[in-house]
Amino acid sequence: MGSPAGLGAVSLRAALAFCIAALLLSVAGALRRDRAVADAGRRSLAASFGFTGLASAALLAALFTHDFSIAYVAKYSSRSLSAPYMFGAFWGGMEGSLLFWTVLLTGFATIALGRARTQTPRLIAWAGAVLAGVAAFFLLLLVLPADPFATLSSVPNDGAGLNPLLQSPGMLVHPPLLYTGFVGFSIPFAFAMAALISKRLDTAWLTATRRWTLFGWSALSVGIVLGGAWAYTELGWGGYWAWDPVENASFMPWLTATAFLHSVVIQEKRRMLKVWNVSLILITYALAIFGTFLTRSGILSSIHTFTEGPIGKWFLPFLGFMLLGGIAIVLARLNELRSDNRFDSVMSRESAFLANNVLFVAAAFTVLWGTIYPIVAEVITGVRLSVGPPFFNSVFVPLGLAILGLTGIGPLISWRRMSKGAFSRVIRAPLAAGGIVVVTLALGGIRSPGALLAFGLCTFTTVAIVSEFVRGSRVHRKRDRSSWPVALSTTIARNRRRYGGYVVHLGVVLIVIGLAGAAFGTERHALVDVADSMRVGSYTLTYEDQRDSSTAEKQINTAVIGVRKGGETLGQLFPQRNFHFAQRQPQSEVAIRTGPIEDLYVVITSFDQDGAAAIRAFVNPLTWWIWAGAAVMLGGMTILLSSPAPVRAAARVRTEVREPAVAAR
Amino acid sequence: MRLVAFVLVMMPLAVPSALAAPQDVANQISADVMSPFCPGLTLHDCPSDAAVALRERITKMAEAGYDRAAIMTELERDYGPTIRAVPDPRGSGLLAWLLPITVTIAAGATAWLLLRRWAREPAPVEGYDPDVHITPKDRRRIDHELAKLRGEA
Repeated sequence: MGSPAGLGAVSLRAALAFCIAALLLSVAGALRRDRAVADAGRRSLAASFGFTGLASAALLAALFTHDFSIAYVAKYSSRSLSAPYMFGAFWGGMEGSLLFWTVLLTGFATIALGRARTQTPRLIAWAGAVLAGVAAFFLLLLVLPADPFATLSSVPNDGAGLNPLLQSPGMLVHPPLLYTGFVGFSIPFAFAMAALISKRLDTAWLTATRRWTLFGWSALSVGIVLGGAWAYTELGWGGYWAWDPVENASFMPWLTATAFLHSVVIQEKRRMLKVWNVSLILITYALAIFGTFLTRSGILSSIHTFTEGPIGKWFLPFLGFMLLGGIAIVLARLNELRSDNRFDSVMSRESAFLANNVLFVAAAFTVLWGTIYPIVAEVITGVRLSVGPPFFNSVFVPLGLAILGLTGIGPLISWRRMSKGAFSRVIRAPLAAGGIVVVTLALGGIRSPGALLAFGLCTFTTVAIVSEFVRGSRVHRKRDRSSWPVALSTTIARNRRRYGGYVVHLGVVLIVIGLAGAAFGTERHALVDVADSMRVGSYTLTYEDQRDSSTAEKQINTAVIGVRKGGETLGQLFPQRNFHFAQRQPQSEVAIRTGPIEDLYVVITSFDQDGAAAIRAFVNPLTWWIWAGAAVMLGGMTILLSSPAPVRAAARVRTEVREPAVAAR
Repeated sequence: MRLVAFVLVMMPLAVPSALAAPQDVANQISADVMSPFCPGLTLHDCPSDAAVALRERITKMAEAGYDRAAIMTELERDYGPTIRAVPDPRGSGLLAWLLPITVTIAAGATAWLLLRRWAREPAPVEGYDPDVHITPKDRRRIDHELAKLRGEA
């Protein structure tokens, strides 16, 4: 008990006991409509969070004190591992990552249930029961097959150390953000299930969880982009997305969550698509759990092997129970889930949102199908096939471009109904701008149809969104007699949800511009002696020198690369090829000269005996815009998260009367 | 609309240019095959030394005049059919391509049909949203005020 292992093991068991108590008390409170009992359930879940937090503290203490009697500590850390990466080691292995997931889940559940106390007691009680049930499953994993405090009979003097690829600043942020996103979806999922069970099928569950959905989605979005940035700067293959099963595991729930974020607007505004919304959040959470299963089961080939383990068989029954139970309760409540309203016209924003939803879900299905197809094919035909990036690019890119087009159409079209004449008037300018860009680029020599279409749609969407900002600002400027910047900030502040969403869309447009740039990339590789040069694109790279040094963790071999372009010297780059002692593993450190036009990306794949360097160099046009777009998206998410809870419909109508930019056209 | 027609006419100009250098051919092929050395990654993206050597071999084949099909055949002979990153649409891989397309078209068609039906059906109580609590007179006034603010009245 005095050691971290003892404290951690006892804490996990106590957390599980309190979690089971929370589940039973919440169900009893809901069934007997007894608020006091339900509150006791809520407090039990909070106690479970406390003990899970204590277990996490014990694991961190074990990592920082190099307690190699704990198998996890010996496997994922070493004495030479620097302090920040001890946190990375906490979630760098399967058991630690599950503990991290559980502490987030119990913590989020405690906060969400505490903040929702103004809601109907039965809704909170059932939501508490669902959350406690999910947390109990994860705690059961931690107590039985994935114990992070399992001890070794023979204690090593030093640990194996953290995978060098994980020793990057991005890895201190990327996994926690992904987990935050996945776990964040637990809250809307639990409240949706609670609404179904308790038959409280108005918008109360949406209102109670709106911020959680946005929060989870934002964390997942940033986590995915940071994962791309990590791959770009650490893995040394010049790209940021490989359609790896584990990457797909995070992308699938993001796609369905994005669809959900859009379709809840229709439920809030028009009291429609209720079945669709509960189904979407069920699918989103199921995909998040499925992703966790994929990452840890080892059933698919993935470079992310550092979190594989023997817990796959535990996930399948849980996932099956969750999905079948969810579907059963949705089917049982179909009558109560009927829409209060109908679509007034096919030509309406509701229709555009629905089309957007269909495309997002089709895109998620496409990614899911491509990810699991190797297993399906093996089961059906007995032959193992590969499904790689070319397949995903072929089937996903058309869907992605269609979604981008709808992103532009959405703001142009009004709620309820719009005449064809009015629509053709408002679409004319964005369409013309997009067309002009396509023709100009085609005449300028761009030959990739996909890239041309992407740039055209980006222009179309940008013009459509910017015109919304201009229209809104113009009204405020005229009414308040203010300057354009003040009018713009007033416009955004008055309807942060709408304009925050538009800012996110502008970020997406910038990201698509960056992705389209990949069509024009160049790559060269060569074995270069000191003082010799190689060319890539319009750059000349000269291998000027090699420098060696070492730290306690690694031997560092740095190549000094002089960069020239068109006779002009641009400076030097310093890519490295290092050797990590603990893991006995070489690793390349990339050197990047980045800018809005293009990145020069240089990686050393090896040094030979004579000091010659095998250099792989890429010119990646427009990649910078992916990170810039992510930053813009983050700005939009901040605006969205700061927006107040949705007002009642009557109040909204009054607001619309005051603010024409907000109202239907 | 004339502009759209012009764009469509111009689109055939936008055909991919022919791959020139053997390294470009090798880069393209290495992006279309899975790495036998890095699980889940293409040969292009695999950082291992063995992958570097295989990419080098592909470049040499391209320099020796092998076309794309010949190089792919060589690779498949040496590493088996799993080296292809794209399922073959003529054989057992057909389902991989067919299902996403079918699902997308079916989902789109279903949504379209539902939309048409819903748009034709009257709302449960025509012109009255139970949560808004506004009378037809109020609604007319709102429409009028909105039109005024938009400069249409």
